[in-house]
Amino acid sequence: MASLVPCPHCGQRPKEEFTIKGAALTRPAAGADASDWFDYVYLRDNPRGAYEEYWHHTSGCRRWIVLTRDTVTHEVAASRDAADRPRSEART
Amino acid sequence: MSSYRLPKGGLVDRKAPLSFTFDGRPLQGFAGDTLASALLANGQMLVGRSFKYHRPRGILTSGAAEPNALVTIGRGGRTEPNTRATVQELYEGLAAQSQNRWPSLDFDIGALNGLLSPFLGAGFYYKTFMWPAPLWEKFYEPFIRKAAGLGKASYDPDPDSYEKSWAHCDLLVIGAGPTGLAAALTAGRAGARVLIVDEGSLPGGSLLSDSATIDGKPAADFARDTSAELQSMPNVRVMMRTTAFGWYDGNVFGAVERVQKHVRDPARHLPVERLWRIVARHALLATGAEERPLIFGGNDRPGVMMASAMRTYLNRYAVAPGQATAIFTTDDSGYALARDLEAARVDVVAIIDSRPSAGVDYRGKARLIREAVVCRTKGRKAISAIEVHRGGRAETIAIDALAMAGGFSPIIHLACHRGGKPTWSAEKVAFLAPSGLKDLDLAGAAAATTDLAACLAEGAAQAKAIVEEFGWSCPPIVLPKVEGTEGTHASKPLWSIPGVKGKAFVDFQNDVHLKDIGLAVREGYSHVELAKRYTTNGMATDQGKLSNVNAIGLIAKARGVSPAEVGTTTFRPFYTPVSFGALTGPHHGHQFQPVRKSPLHDWAKKHGAVFVETGLWYRSSWFPRNGERSWRESVDREVVNVRQNAGLCDVSMLGKIEISGSDAAEFLNRVYCNAFLKLPVGKARYGLMLREDGMIYDDGTTSRLEENRFFMTTTTAYAAGVMNHLEFCAQALWPELNVRLASSTDQWAQMAIAGPKARAILQKIVDEDISDAAFPFLAAKEVALFGGTLHGCLFRISFSGELAYELAVPAGYGESVADALMEAGKDHGIMPYGVEALSVLRIEKGHVTHNEINGTVVPADLGFGKMVSGTKPDFIGKAMLQREGLAAPDRAQLVGVVPLDPKQSFRSGSHILAKGAAAALENDEGYVTSSAYSPHVGSTIGLALVKRGPSRHGEEVVVWNGLHGESTPARLCNPVFLDPQNERLHV
Amino acid sequence: MSEFRPTLRPVLGTKQAVSSATLKLSPLPEGTIIHVLARPGEQDMAPFLESLPKAAGHAVRPVSPGQWFIVREEQMPHQEMKSLFAALEPRATGVDQSHGRVRIRIEGKMAARALSKGTALDLDPSAFPVGQSAVTLIGHIAAHITRVGSEAFEIIVLRGFAESLWDDLARMSLEFS
Repeated sequence: MASLVPCPHCGQRPKEEFTIKGAALTRPAAGADASDWFDYVYLRDNPRGAYEEYWHHTSGCRRWIVLTRDTVTHEVAASRDAADRPRSEART
Repeated sequence: MSSYRLPKGGLVDRKAPLSFTFDGRPLQGFAGDTLASALLANGQMLVGRSFKYHRPRGILTSGAAEPNALVTIGRGGRTEPNTRATVQELYEGLAAQSQNRWPSLDFDIGALNGLLSPFLGAGFYYKTFMWPAPLWEKFYEPFIRKAAGLGKASYDPDPDSYEKSWAHCDLLVIGAGPTGLAAALTAGRAGARVLIVDEGSLPGGSLLSDSATIDGKPAADFARDTSAELQSMPNVRVMMRTTAFGWYDGNVFGAVERVQKHVRDPARHLPVERLWRIVARHALLATGAEERPLIFGGNDRPGVMMASAMRTYLNRYAVAPGQATAIFTTDDSGYALARDLEAARVDVVAIIDSRPSAGVDYRGKARLIREAVVCRTKGRKAISAIEVHRGGRAETIAIDALAMAGGFSPIIHLACHRGGKPTWSAEKVAFLAPSGLKDLDLAGAAAATTDLAACLAEGAAQAKAIVEEFGWSCPPIVLPKVEGTEGTHASKPLWSIPGVKGKAFVDFQNDVHLKDIGLAVREGYSHVELAKRYTTNGMATDQGKLSNVNAIGLIAKARGVSPAEVGTTTFRPFYTPVSFGALTGPHHGHQFQPVRKSPLHDWAKKHGAVFVETGLWYRSSWFPRNGERSWRESVDREVVNVRQNAGLCDVSMLGKIEISGSDAAEFLNRVYCNAFLKLPVGKARYGLMLREDGMIYDDGTTSRLEENRFFMTTTTAYAAGVMNHLEFCAQALWPELNVRLASSTDQWAQMAIAGPKARAILQKIVDEDISDAAFPFLAAKEVALFGGTLHGCLFRISFSGELAYELAVPAGYGESVADALMEAGKDHGIMPYGVEALSVLRIEKGHVTHNEINGTVVPADLGFGKMVSGTKPDFIGKAMLQREGLAAPDRAQLVGVVPLDPKQSFRSGSHILAKGAAAALENDEGYVTSSAYSPHVGSTIGLALVKRGPSRHGEEVVVWNGLHGESTPARLCNPVFLDPQNERLHV
Repeated sequence: MSEFRPTLRPVLGTKQAVSSATLKLSPLPEGTIIHVLARPGEQDMAPFLESLPKAAGHAVRPVSPGQWFIVREEQMPHQEMKSLFAALEPRATGVDQSHGRVRIRIEGKMAARALSKGTALDLDPSAFPVGQSAVTLIGHIAAHITRVGSEAFEIIVLRGFAESLWDDLARMSLEFS
């Protein structure tokens, strides 16, 4: 029906404005082992609780953001622009 | 004796009589009536037949929880089945039909089901009709479907409109009863943005049924005055006829407003229903409480009613339930009803109180029978007597109406919608909202506060706390003085009644009775979720509003545990049914999804284009001319004309992205698998974009217009996806790169001008020299047109295999430029061509589209293996492309295919079998990805992905289509059917 | 064909303005819209854009982090735009969107109510004051909304969706017209 997703630039917006990519993983370096690439492309954790995901504010500011979302409650603990590094500086 | 209208009193407008019909019978009510109150006023106590046993049913409640009085309202496309008569406002001309009866409500053949009841108990679906299995589909299911059921939906289209809206507030108050009104008033006076919603037509909730006085005036007047003050505040919005049905993430509440469900002829400029999404900083549930039925034999007989409902009909609608009433109560609310009935000169024959003593001192005329229960009712289509048990002695009392007061369950549904589990309060004898809720509180009867004065105080106090938390200062609360209410003592729940005789219903709507619950427990389905499925208790459209807590109590008793241990089933939206119309809103018919129009749409239209929807776009398929009898004739002509003269095709819907910044070339080098770093300024290059798993994602041409400015085109289908992908790469993967992306798809009207005459035509409007020497194949640059009056971009690229260009001009001038090109090309035989011809041209040339780039192919599969850069340190897909399996020799790879007999044809999607091989999965060699009739070849041709395809040119195979039963002998060949040396491109 | 003068065809040219006492919906002239994209890490360029000498008569509308629209009623000659783009470099790139996007004005007492049928933005003046811009979905179509007056909004939408959005807005306004 409805739910709101916090965009670090635009504030609370309905989920329909976003596209979800999935787990916010770090892309391996170019020469990384095949197994690192396999993990990156195919393997996903399915944790109960906090999960970092890439979301794209497609029908808004068009920024990619990293959401820390609880997979049980859908509570979003943090939301930051995907270009902002390092991850420890997440803002809400 | 039947129910009837009292000569005076109530909130109905006796000066505004309304005519309506029930099963065709003309009846009269008043403005302010619900359909249910009007039916009762007319003595119509039998209103429907039950779901399974077709038992006669009457009106049980006066509100949203009604399980029995479901009727079909309206005619034709406005037919609305399963409408609760208890919430449907009466209007002039309303036509209601009873449901689930045949041939008539009074005489219903289906009532014979009652005799079959030993076979229709809990779990009967799983037991009785299991064998023989084939009979299920042919006999049992159709039989059950016919016998069991609700109203019938109409097949006619709904003529009315629906819409959606968002609203925002600091405090959302759900429920405009005493608690909600007090809360809204407090927050509103403090200056907060307040939204108060209520499902009823009048603000007041239980105040409208209460005989108490508040500050010396009737409770209903207090409600009216309070809501008038609220309506006068600019920061407060009162939304009546609005049911909040769900609580969602982000503190969003779903609500449906019945804008015109109470009128016969809805106004055209307004929707009939409006779906609201309300974003609230905080919400207060003041949703009240639901009275529980008592479970005794024949508790479903017309004339048996919830005590609170009887009081509402009496006080609000001035309808008496009968002339000799009895009240079966487990709490003190039954005495308030007795007093009100007697005040209205309706006889109360007896009050049967399950407790040894009451909290009120009753001084009325009714006989008071304490420590007693009603164990069954008598009567046929209406109640005529009750059997009362007291201390082992049975007594039959003749009555014509019975109220039952089984205690109240707080309405906490919304508070549980986000996963919280209700908690059982032994003190309040009720399930209360989950603890630790964020941004949501409950007050009043929804929090098990029952006293009217306490509710008013609680609503005000909670609102004050909430708005003060937000920083408003709240004026001191002055509580009104409440008089004339009964004291309240918590009910002593009476889950099961000793000595019950006959069917005692727990879930009225689904016909689940006492024995069903017992059976479920005995057969091992005592977990509350299992018991629900096994018995279907709580699974009807009322979602167990009256039955769930009773069922839990019964299960608890059977298991010998507390209701806390049984727990509740899961509460999910919607609180009450929401129409598909409201959920769909305006998005149906031509507004189902947006239409995306090319700037050349009208140009194509005036040339007679037949359009096809591709995604949201409307693309021109072909342009029929006089005398052409089939689409193929038109397409063949367009194809041949491009090959011989020239054609103009609208390609504006290709995705266009401007990529700029000092790292733009480096960025492209990383997103394409082929090299882009050294692309010269003024040149276009075909690019392949891979996914990270090595498969091709999209293709297109990218041109370098300036050192740090590129113009990328994508396929139409993947335009949005590619833009999202590039933004991901730029923002999330490589934010250190100085690159900027701007979608310019809509900025340009883009035309393909293809054919041997293309240059001659274009040169007439392009100022610059576009000779082969000055502007060779794959040249790209900004050009001036019409002597410098307009500027655009010209690309010498070809999808058709002919000498061809794509010209991009500012969209608003697109039609004018296309007109100019048609004029310039008139003598050269220029014609418009559509996507069908475009497709034939590209298949003839062996060019791939997403038919071939289908998510399973790597560059080498399409013959692009050499394009993949071996020297770039990194690009998207590079690592995974190295996988062994992606270079396996038996991969399906691109090949052409032609029928041996040019008169035969085949379709896309057909499979390739080796000659003589049986049509079996293990013999599958691949499939045809694209096919068309080729005027150039003179037969059907196809592109196919076939195992080891490139090494099998010349091999005879069979093209097999099992769906159509077709089998076509064919030959594999070079996928480039036209000009394999590319001579036509370079003229 | 150097004598040929191409003619502009406004995409909402045939639409009838919706007008009542409480709401007015009207297409704006297809003048100039320039999409300004700052290089990553660049400071807020709005003051710079406002101060551009060429920007006289222009309005600057924030789009997203590092991106703005420069809008004006009149079309901008090719050369003038080229020199404007040059002036933006190297801090930002200008992309002509004068044809790619279309402006619509909705104003009146009920304008915000009508828009709320499409967008989840809180359009209360306390949350969305004059001068504020946002990109949001209006129904199923992404659009850029600016509050240009206490009861007036300007909407910028992709050209291909302009007719659809217009029809949606007209429907959303029906109640107030």
